[in-house]
Amino acid sequence: MSNFLQSVRGALILGVAVGVIGVLALLFAEPFYQRIVFIFMVNLIAVIGLQVFMGNADITNYGHISFMGIAAYAVAILATPAAIKKTSLATAPFGLGTIEVALPIAILIALALTVLIAFLVGTMLVRQSGTPASIATLALLVIVHVVIMNWVDLTRGPRAIYGIPVKATLGMATICAILAIVAARLFRDSSWGLQLRAASENIAAASAMGVRIKRLRLVAWVVSAAICGVAGILFALFVGTISPKSFYFDLTFLTLAMLVVGGAYSVSGAVLGSIVVTFGFEIMRYLENGPQIVGLKLPTMFGLTGIFLGAIIVLCMILRPRGLVGDDEIDEIWRRRSKNRERSEISANASGAAQ
Amino acid sequence: MMSDYALQQAFNALSVGGEYALLALGLAIVFSVMHLVNFAHGDMITVGGYAMFLLIMFGVRDPFLVLPFGVLVTVLAALLIERVAFKPVRGASPTTGMLTAFGVSIIIQNVALIFGGSRPKAVPTADWLASSLSIGSVQIPVVQVLETIVTLAAIIGLVALMRYTTVGLAMRAAAKDVPVVRLMGVKADRVILSAFAISGFLAGLAGIFILARRGAVDPFMGFAPVLKAFVAAVLGGFGSLPGAVVGGFALGIAEVALQVLLPPEIAGFRDAFVFLLIGIVLVFRPQGILGERPDFGEKS
Repeated sequence: MSNFLQSVRGALILGVAVGVIGVLALLFAEPFYQRIVFIFMVNLIAVIGLQVFMGNADITNYGHISFMGIAAYAVAILATPAAIKKTSLATAPFGLGTIEVALPIAILIALALTVLIAFLVGTMLVRQSGTPASIATLALLVIVHVVIMNWVDLTRGPRAIYGIPVKATLGMATICAILAIVAARLFRDSSWGLQLRAASENIAAASAMGVRIKRLRLVAWVVSAAICGVAGILFALFVGTISPKSFYFDLTFLTLAMLVVGGAYSVSGAVLGSIVVTFGFEIMRYLENGPQIVGLKLPTMFGLTGIFLGAIIVLCMILRPRGLVGDDEIDEIWRRRSKNRERSEISANASGAAQ
Repeated sequence: MMSDYALQQAFNALSVGGEYALLALGLAIVFSVMHLVNFAHGDMITVGGYAMFLLIMFGVRDPFLVLPFGVLVTVLAALLIERVAFKPVRGASPTTGMLTAFGVSIIIQNVALIFGGSRPKAVPTADWLASSLSIGSVQIPVVQVLETIVTLAAIIGLVALMRYTTVGLAMRAAAKDVPVVRLMGVKADRVILSAFAISGFLAGLAGIFILARRGAVDPFMGFAPVLKAFVAAVLGGFGSLPGAVVGGFALGIAEVALQVLLPPEIAGFRDAFVFLLIGIVLVFRPQGILGERPDFGEKS
């Protein structure tokens, strides 16, 4: 039980940090910056979803954004007012072009659909480890993208779906982000999370101890997809229009960079990485557009954000392959440090007394 | 008539398969010696392509200078990337290597974007590459014939290299056990550089044909072919050289067959079916067509 409380306390430290960012933005920020903070919260939720699978099962996952896309499209198709659908999605199959579902129900259906698809994909995916599994997740990303691009009747193909009810607020996104942090931390510290992490260190030893690796990977995969689904739904309900390119390689790279920079093996890493990379990314985006700095007109350089992302991934892999935070959560590191300090103080006192 | 069409499509399948085989071989040879999944493989082609573009800008138009120059730059790009980015992560986990490669790929694409812009830049290759051969009543593009022949020649050359040279022996040995190879007095560095040089050379060859088809370079041109090459490599068994060849041709044939056989209204989904192949292979034959099944507990 004390372990449970420790996990919750550790998660709340991160949750408070994220909450402070959200509240400060709500109180003081201009709409432009509120929008950046909202997108930060959405990305953070996706990164945490990614961490649940990648950090515990130790399989690099390129497919998480496809679940964001599935959930976003599902909620968009269900909840867009019928009047708008008459012009945008008139030919949608299963009568989806004419019905309009109440938002809470649409959200539930979208999440359920995401979980169902994740489960079906997961049963195939968890049979693989390492590199082949990663490439399978990459294939998932491509498949979902190709389907969205080509199922024109249902998704409008490459064109955007518009008129999605804009109901998500920064407050909601902040609360969802905090809940995602708590859920991810509880999963990591649960016996399932522990068994999975043990299996990722030594698969033979763990399965000899009776760890049911495939089943646990599947659980992590589905939880991860559900959290990413929440991110997708928030995105759709905030921006109001979505198109396939919002859920492809760009966002995959961005969220992966966030996770690996912070450290995939802890929820703290996911949060820290999201903050650091968002900060750097926004600065680069500002520079990219050729701003005027102290009277000096900089040239526009589209591609700067991409170079930044690539460079920080490469540098991080070379200098700190396990990320800024490393293998343990921040509160665990603090606790260990203070314990060591106490111990060294005691031994210093003891040696002082002996003299 | 029907058989003419079939013959044309067969050549089409062989040339597409050849391109995938060349790329998948490059991926496999690097993977086999250092367990690195090189996502930046396609971006070396982009570098080679832009090099050709620059050379043509400077007024050199002779294809017998431009094309070899492109291949040479592709090889140099492969070696440079190995030195700068992959050497520091040598010996780290496969995940680290794969993410590093992804980072390198993004950097190259965006450097090309900054200096070259996002619009495609025309790179005229040779006229005779764009012409067609008539065999009886059948018209077959020269590119396709050459690509098939060059691929087969490259495969034969590679087999000879792996079999009859010391470097080849060292690379085959390194695929099994790197520490032992080093104990035998072979420099790991040399083996790895050779692997990258070969993979760059194969990518350069594939790059010429990709360029001949597209007629232009753009920052993201290398990305899509390499995604397909991944499918080919997984199909054949990741890290297996014969597997890469078989997987490449199998994918080429499957793709052209889908293109021909799928009704037009679902032809757009072709790539979804192609990538679904990965899922099917992983479920029913995880080691691929020719790969060896890793021992349980082995990290792959």
